Amino acid sequence: MNGWILAATVVLAGGGAAVLWGVTSGPMSRRVVAQNLATSVACPALLLLAQGYDRPAYVDLALLMALLGPIGTLVFARLLAVDLAGDRPRAGRESPACRANDGNFASGPAAWGPTWAAAALGAGVVVAVCVATGPGRAMVKLLVTGALLIGGNVIASRALSGGFEGVRGG
Amino acid sequence: MADAVIVVALLLVAGSATAAVAVRDPARQALVLSVLGVALAVLFTVLQAPDVGLSQLAVGSALTPLLIMLAVRKVRRCGRTGDETR
Repeated sequence: MNGWILAATVVLAGGGAAVLWGVTSGPMSRRVVAQNLATSVACPALLLLAQGYDRPAYVDLALLMALLGPIGTLVFARLLAVDLAGDRPRAGRESPACRANDGNFASGPAAWGPTWAAAALGAGVVVAVCVATGPGRAMVKLLVTGALLIGGNVIASRALSGGFEGVRGG
Repeated sequence: MADAVIVVALLLVAGSATAAVAVRDPARQALVLSVLGVALAVLFTVLQAPDVGLSQLAVGSALTPLLIMLAVRKVRRCGRTGDETR
């Protein structure tokens, strides 16, 4: 067992426990956030496992997860829009001024602290694996995975906190 | 010691599967089921079967929850219109 697999184990254990706790308890908004956290924890873990097993082909799994995870969260954000809107404090959403300066994000269901923490985890793992891989096509693939992971994470978080007013309802 | 990651993945699968059974609301079950799909994909990867994990990821994390949510929404909508016409 090398350090990469040990790091993957730690990420899986810590993130998995948090995801299980979040997805089985609390209001609907918290459950959707926990489901999003599942993909943003599993993707760095898969990258670490690919490096730990020394099989670059395993990066495909992380790439697919970074692509499909935010899609799954957006599916939930759209189909559960009524339940999520019920959980959200409505005062910030009614006034255009608050919507303009993103003032309602801090009180929304997807608080931005955990979002950036998960994004920082993904970025740190991608940078570490990139350094271990060295320049080349594999590094480009890793960078694409990291960009998809962080971009999808931010988009999903924004959708969950009501950032896209136009697509509400369904 | 080398099997620690397998044990962790197995525990995650067992925990999320138990939670998927224990949660009663279908919409929340779909959320837990999505987490179960991701955990299963990680388990297959850890057991050196990444091809199975790849298909499990595509089916389990996006497609199955989408089908369940669409079915739940259809049932709710039909129930609502049925109440109105009655």
